[in-house]
Amino acid sequence: MKFQYRFKYLILLAPLFVAFSCKQDLLDRMPLTTIVDEGFWRNEADIRLYSIGFYENYFIGYNTVQVENYAPYPNSNFSDDMVSNSTQTNFENIVPASRVSTATGPGASWLVQHYGPTWNFYWVRKTNIFIDRLENVAKPNLTEEEYNHWTAVARFFRGLEYSMLVSVFGDVPYFDRVVEDTDLDYMYKDRDDRGLVMDHVYNDFEYVLANMRLDDGNQVLNRYIAAAFISRRMLFEGTFLHYHGGDGTRAEKYLALAARAAEFVMNSGEYSFSNDYKSLFASEDLSTNNEVLLYRTYDEALLVRHSVIARQNGSGPPSKAANLDFIKAFLCVDGEPWQNSTEPAASSFSIADLVASRDSRFEATFLDFANNTAPSLLLTTKHAPRDIVNYIGPGKPPVPAEYLFSVNTTDAPVIRLAEVVLNWIEAKAVLAEHYGGMAVSQAELDRSINAIRSRPLAPEAIAKGVRKTAPLSLAALPDDPGRDSDVSPLMWEIRRERRVEFYMERFRLLDLKRWKKMHYMDFSTKPDYFLGPWIDFEVEMPALIAPASIGVLQVQKENGTVVTYNGSNASDMVGFYVIRGAVNRQPFGDEVYLAPIGERQIIEYEELGYTLTQTVNWR
Amino acid sequence: MIRKYKNNLIFPLWLRHPFKRLKMFFGLSIVLGFATQVMADDDGRTQSAAALDIVLQEQVIRGTITDRLGNPLSGVTIVLKDTPSRGTTSDENGRYTLSVPENSVLIFSSVGHNSQEVSVGNRREINIALEDAETAMDEVVVVGYGTQKKSHLTGAVSTINIEDNLQGRAIADIGRGLQGVSPGLNVRTPSGDVGSEAPIRIRGMIGSLNGESTPLILLDNVEIPNIQMVNADDVASITVLKDAAATSIYGAKAAMGVILITTKDGAKQEDVEFSYSNNFSFQDPWKEIEMAGSAGIRYSLDTYIRNGNNPVYIPIFVSAGEESYERTLEWEAKYGGKLGVDDPWTYGRDWYFDPVLNRRFGVRIYDPVDYLLNRWAPTKQHNLSASGTSGNTTFHIGLSTMDQSGMIKPAKEDSFGRRTATIRLSNKVNDKLTLRAGTMFSQTDRRTPFIATNEQAHGFWYYMYRWHSLWPHGYDESGDPLRGTWYEAQQANTESRKTDYLNLNLGATVDFTNNWKAEIDYSYWNQEYKRTQPGTIYTARNIWVAPSPRVDESGNPVYMNRDGEVVPSTDPGASRAYDFPMESYSANTLNPNYYQRNVSNFYRHTLNAYTVYDLNLDGGHDFKFTGGINLSTYDGASQWGRIDDLIDIVNPQFNFAVGTQTTGGGASWEAQLGYFTRVNYAYKDKYLLEANLRYDGTSKFPTDLRWRWFPSFSAGWVASEEPFMQWSSSALDFFKIRGSWGTVGDQAVSSSLYLATMGSALSDWISDGRLRNYVGTPSPVYADITWQDITTLNLGIDAYFWNNRIGVVVDWYQRDTENMLVPSPGVAPTYGASAALGNFGSLRTRGWEFELTYNHRFQNGLGVNVAANISDAVTTITKYGDTRSIDSWYVGKTYGEIWGYETDRLYQLDDFVLDGNGNPTLITLTSADSEQYAGGRANELKPGPNGEKPVYQVALQNSSNFFFGPGDVKFKDLDGDGELTPGARLVDDHGDLRVIGNSTPRYTYGFRLGLDYKGVDFSMFLQGVGSRQIWRSGQLLIPGFRPSEMSMPKVIAEDYWTEDNPNAFYPAAYGNGGVSTTNNFQPQTRYLLDMSYLRVKNLTVGYSLPRSLLSKVGVSSTRIYTSLENFFTFDNLGGLPVDPEEIPGVVGEGFSGHSWAGAKAPMFKSFSFGLQLNF
Repeated sequence: MKFQYRFKYLILLAPLFVAFSCKQDLLDRMPLTTIVDEGFWRNEADIRLYSIGFYENYFIGYNTVQVENYAPYPNSNFSDDMVSNSTQTNFENIVPASRVSTATGPGASWLVQHYGPTWNFYWVRKTNIFIDRLENVAKPNLTEEEYNHWTAVARFFRGLEYSMLVSVFGDVPYFDRVVEDTDLDYMYKDRDDRGLVMDHVYNDFEYVLANMRLDDGNQVLNRYIAAAFISRRMLFEGTFLHYHGGDGTRAEKYLALAARAAEFVMNSGEYSFSNDYKSLFASEDLSTNNEVLLYRTYDEALLVRHSVIARQNGSGPPSKAANLDFIKAFLCVDGEPWQNSTEPAASSFSIADLVASRDSRFEATFLDFANNTAPSLLLTTKHAPRDIVNYIGPGKPPVPAEYLFSVNTTDAPVIRLAEVVLNWIEAKAVLAEHYGGMAVSQAELDRSINAIRSRPLAPEAIAKGVRKTAPLSLAALPDDPGRDSDVSPLMWEIRRERRVEFYMERFRLLDLKRWKKMHYMDFSTKPDYFLGPWIDFEVEMPALIAPASIGVLQVQKENGTVVTYNGSNASDMVGFYVIRGAVNRQPFGDEVYLAPIGERQIIEYEELGYTLTQTVNWR
Repeated sequence: MIRKYKNNLIFPLWLRHPFKRLKMFFGLSIVLGFATQVMADDDGRTQSAAALDIVLQEQVIRGTITDRLGNPLSGVTIVLKDTPSRGTTSDENGRYTLSVPENSVLIFSSVGHNSQEVSVGNRREINIALEDAETAMDEVVVVGYGTQKKSHLTGAVSTINIEDNLQGRAIADIGRGLQGVSPGLNVRTPSGDVGSEAPIRIRGMIGSLNGESTPLILLDNVEIPNIQMVNADDVASITVLKDAAATSIYGAKAAMGVILITTKDGAKQEDVEFSYSNNFSFQDPWKEIEMAGSAGIRYSLDTYIRNGNNPVYIPIFVSAGEESYERTLEWEAKYGGKLGVDDPWTYGRDWYFDPVLNRRFGVRIYDPVDYLLNRWAPTKQHNLSASGTSGNTTFHIGLSTMDQSGMIKPAKEDSFGRRTATIRLSNKVNDKLTLRAGTMFSQTDRRTPFIATNEQAHGFWYYMYRWHSLWPHGYDESGDPLRGTWYEAQQANTESRKTDYLNLNLGATVDFTNNWKAEIDYSYWNQEYKRTQPGTIYTARNIWVAPSPRVDESGNPVYMNRDGEVVPSTDPGASRAYDFPMESYSANTLNPNYYQRNVSNFYRHTLNAYTVYDLNLDGGHDFKFTGGINLSTYDGASQWGRIDDLIDIVNPQFNFAVGTQTTGGGASWEAQLGYFTRVNYAYKDKYLLEANLRYDGTSKFPTDLRWRWFPSFSAGWVASEEPFMQWSSSALDFFKIRGSWGTVGDQAVSSSLYLATMGSALSDWISDGRLRNYVGTPSPVYADITWQDITTLNLGIDAYFWNNRIGVVVDWYQRDTENMLVPSPGVAPTYGASAALGNFGSLRTRGWEFELTYNHRFQNGLGVNVAANISDAVTTITKYGDTRSIDSWYVGKTYGEIWGYETDRLYQLDDFVLDGNGNPTLITLTSADSEQYAGGRANELKPGPNGEKPVYQVALQNSSNFFFGPGDVKFKDLDGDGELTPGARLVDDHGDLRVIGNSTPRYTYGFRLGLDYKGVDFSMFLQGVGSRQIWRSGQLLIPGFRPSEMSMPKVIAEDYWTEDNPNAFYPAAYGNGGVSTTNNFQPQTRYLLDMSYLRVKNLTVGYSLPRSLLSKVGVSSTRIYTSLENFFTFDNLGGLPVDPEEIPGVVGEGFSGHSWAGAKAPMFKSFSFGLQLNF
């Protein structure tokens, strides 16, 4: 019985025992595997970890797996260089119900027809928090040099984000500190004038150029890389203001910074045009390519891969391909447009002649025979290694696995010297033509356009008879019959150089915007947009001379007559390839220069007594 | 007890000792499998009256006692009313013999049944059927930390009839068995995916916009992770606690109601009872899935024509164009219905390649259902249990196994299995102390083909619906498989998701005095989740890439005609044959070329200790005091490892792969502690009061805000006990009015809401040859975040009439969620983050419940029982900042409401100004046409018959090339302003929009009818929803959702507007670019789906074998039955392949499917039969 009593008391006491013996911290359970803001920002290592969070968003390269945003995929390429064999992608023509993205993934928030971010302030907040924590938490733990450098890193990303937002929306509200959710007046302020915003960006960039480290490790942001981006952003804004009749004083200021930042890179002596054109885009390792300031590594073992080659391998069909208008933009090797050139094959547009007679970049950009996976029969292989040619076409072995979807591992150039020099020369030229700057000299052309043209040629290209293009000479500027009358001959050549150099690199549409040339996107203006290269079907694509082609296959002769295959006129099927199914996009107007914001956002502001102004030309 | 057994080969007498028999039985079970019964010859009589002394002047009465279904009842006490010390109990066959004086009165009583008094008269045999006590008001109901007489309940509490609803049904889990059986308990089965858990909600669909809204499920007072783990056969009772008065004693986690499950413990009598039951069922889709054939291709081609594409062909792996469509029609005429699953995809006949377009075109029509869906998939269940009492010890042992087949036809394995084993032991040490221990093991295993690639993201079933009918399955002419879902599901190795759950519990009851006791129970469980993903490499004819021309053995080109025959190239119908490459298309690091294993462990410690003191004072004052503590901690940890690039695809293992290895893991923990007290007071069983108070703390909130008091009160008045109600007593047995009010805190939210956490991970940025780690942006938080308060007001009536034959329970309630965690109001996109959650919102749910029961056994032995229930709940937002947007949670919004337009009709050609070619004319609107949309472009409309200005629908033209034209939808200008607009989409400015429906189920009901007569029983269970709507989404419901993929249901493809079919239901073809709410498919009345339904959930016919037969083999009862589950459904969905219980995007609790409505495993019906055996 004694036992029983003991037991009884034990049980009686048990709840009390539990109640009072519980550890005080039973309910204190901080997250086990999550970092908390409070307690972070201890040292430079912490800050570096935070900074890495920006890389994938701004240094996209070829993106990952099959995400096309910002990466050189033909399917979402939106420019006058390429055409699809269906209706061309329309421009947005209706104010969207909402234009908010809460996507936080790298490159996830973008608008295809602006090649920029949507109405998403995630990255603004992220940079402002970065600056705030550096200033208010980390500063005591850092040396002055560290503090200056990391503040420059933070301000660089803020400037970059804002300049991209401005390029998409024009005026945007500018926040130079973290927006508190209680501070509605600040949060709900209307858009600030783009000039005011870009002045802030300008100040951030000035700070960056003064304080960022020159070297902070391999594939890590440094002052040269930053300067190259600054030249890109400032050239955009300066020329946009200029050609759209904006504030001339600001245009001049931004263009001057564009030139200065570019010059800082050019004068460093760190970079040069050391390798051939294709090796920039189709190399497994870019670490030894002196032209590249920053590149992105793709690695099979680390499971970081892309799919850019998969759209250029002749088996995964691209939905867009280069049109005749773009083909005609290539200079002949004598440095003249095809109409003026003395090259024997200057007026020929057969692929073989184009390879041998045109600027060497033609050979490096396209497959050198017709291929019908491309809507225009001219398949872009710019990003594919040279051996891709062994796998394209009938009777060839299957494409090796590493060139298929999702597993490509060539490194991607993020920013390179060619862009820097072209930004520089264009900024110089605009300053000279409109703002009393010093006239562009031959020496300056030699440091920029001609330096690019004198890049080494690949041995495989030389074997095909490819030659370097003659340098551009101030004394003998080409007189392109197709030049727009409002563009000077020199400027025309600078623009041509950009078009050819940056094909599919997400520049063309932005260039058309800043030059105010978006009407090029209306393909009804020129038949060339819907034509491909000159094809002799019997010789080049005999497989297409088939019953199925009757009434379908068409070529256009030089005089404009269209010949349709009727089953017996095979020998007459020679001419510019008429791209099947290609239809122009819906008409559009000046509203396409900037993106509208959502109706919902405007109403939300109204509801709380605030105003959010719709983008110009939108209602 | 006097028993005599004949010698018997199967059960020799020595084995009758309970424990020996038990031991022997398990031995036998293992050797012979479950229940291999042999009929043995037995000529014995159960009990010989001659063995008893017969007292003169007394008579011997004998008879059989059964329950209402005619099953023999053992252990029934039979006593003389005048001399209660004299009596006996019935044996295991329900028989009894008793010697009694003449003219005495016998009382038959048994737990769980109404006692019955019988005058003996001069009868010698008295057979009695005892009625179940479940309708009786003195039934004891399990409630929070204790039991309560049903008549004394003051809160909203329902009990579930286990026998009627869970036994002998072809259902995989208890959750599905609870559907429709109790008002206010909402169980939905959104898919036929085996192993998916049916979402359970109590009273409405939602308790908080942020929180789980799920009820607390307790198994013997311990929270369990998943109701699927429990074997229905082990369940003794299920109680549903619905209002705060009933749930508040459980505190923190019980805010959304509680489902209390208790398991069986030992038998009531000195014996061992065995029971065995099984069920074999076969499942098949509840209705035929009819996808469009060539009509769907016509539809898609029409969308391309409308988009202005020329020439028309649809670019996809297997394309369709006008020419191929013509060939498809020819094919249908020639081969339709003649080619089957085994016929290969033959060049020329079934597809061809167009070298000009560089496209391959399909000709043959496939029905993916033939290839992918397993018909009449079998499921089997076995349950075996033993329970008994020996001296002071009672025990219960249960074993069960279930193997359910899924419906993926090509899979090596698609199944869900569960095994359970439970032991409960209790020992009454002495008068004061009872010790108990128990353990439960449950293992579930979901086995599916590990298909990976795209299928991993969307699920296998999406691919039964995604691609058009030209998409081939099966083999090509060379006998090689074709790349696709069919092949991949067949080739895939089997993924296993296995959960082991092991629960150990120890407890004691101390009876200090006969009115004061203490209970302490400690429980520990460990749940281990193991997921194994053995990959493979796919090698098939790759139809995703370009084919190459076929050559024969000597290298000559091969030509084929349209019948798939090799012919000379000069043959008129000859065309060059092509072959797709036979290749491995899952590269060395691609899905699913890897082996991965994930393991997670979860532990929970639960301690419940409480004491109860009953105080019964003179004059009918009865008090009960309860006080106790409830502590619960939860820890979880997980890790995973993966290796790429398999070198063995037959037996993939970590050791049989050579690629990159990756690994990761995580950990979490939480804890709750609560102190509770309860006082019950009853005065003469007439006036009832109850008060609860709980003090709760949780780890989820900051230190200074984590502790809270939660009170609740309830009261009841048993009016039928009042003298002034005597007039009605002949009909009304019991009438109670009750009311309750209480508040419970809800903390079912993420643990780190008050901490600005910064995610950290490996980025995809590489430098110096390694991936760089990064730390993310701090999340915005409100530091002073605290409990959500859920307050329930409940009013109810319980009434029983005519000897408790008819019972009525009515409840009305209002449940307010205050301090609801919602995003802080008024945060603009410029904030740069999703708004932090704070206690800024409120919502209110109001509803009612009605339950009617009828139980009666007629003199002729026919038993009838009916249970019907219906309930409704409506939730509205009562506080949510200042937002007025109809797309947000504005104040006054009804949860689930759908805004849309009212459809007028389809436009006809007549409505438009036509040009010379008979086409509508596109104009730019002037301000005379439309003030609001001047400058917009539209097809010119004719004025109305009386010259009315036409209303242009420019605002609803969401695509740049969509202009409302003939066959498109004409909406109603509800506000009559001459414009069709959504206004500002604000509550006070919504243009022509109105609320057109609600996606929450309303008026949910269940109806059960049971009949039994002389051993034959029949039951029917119906369940339904009175009102529910959803807006269409995805390819199965939106015509032209993604015309390039071309798949659509037959009913859409065969009834869309064309000039030849102007009275069609669906509008003219147009491609909607994968959006479900644009252009013609603005949410609107015409195409809103009516999801109301009535479903015959179960029909059962059973037969209990006569005891005279059974007793010879020592079996006390045997029932065989057959049932139909889900066999008949009445819905309003036409022929759309969507189930009326569909919830878009939801497969089951914790599993999400493709967001398209219906793109998941089809719901199934089943046919089953089984056996229930007690011995």
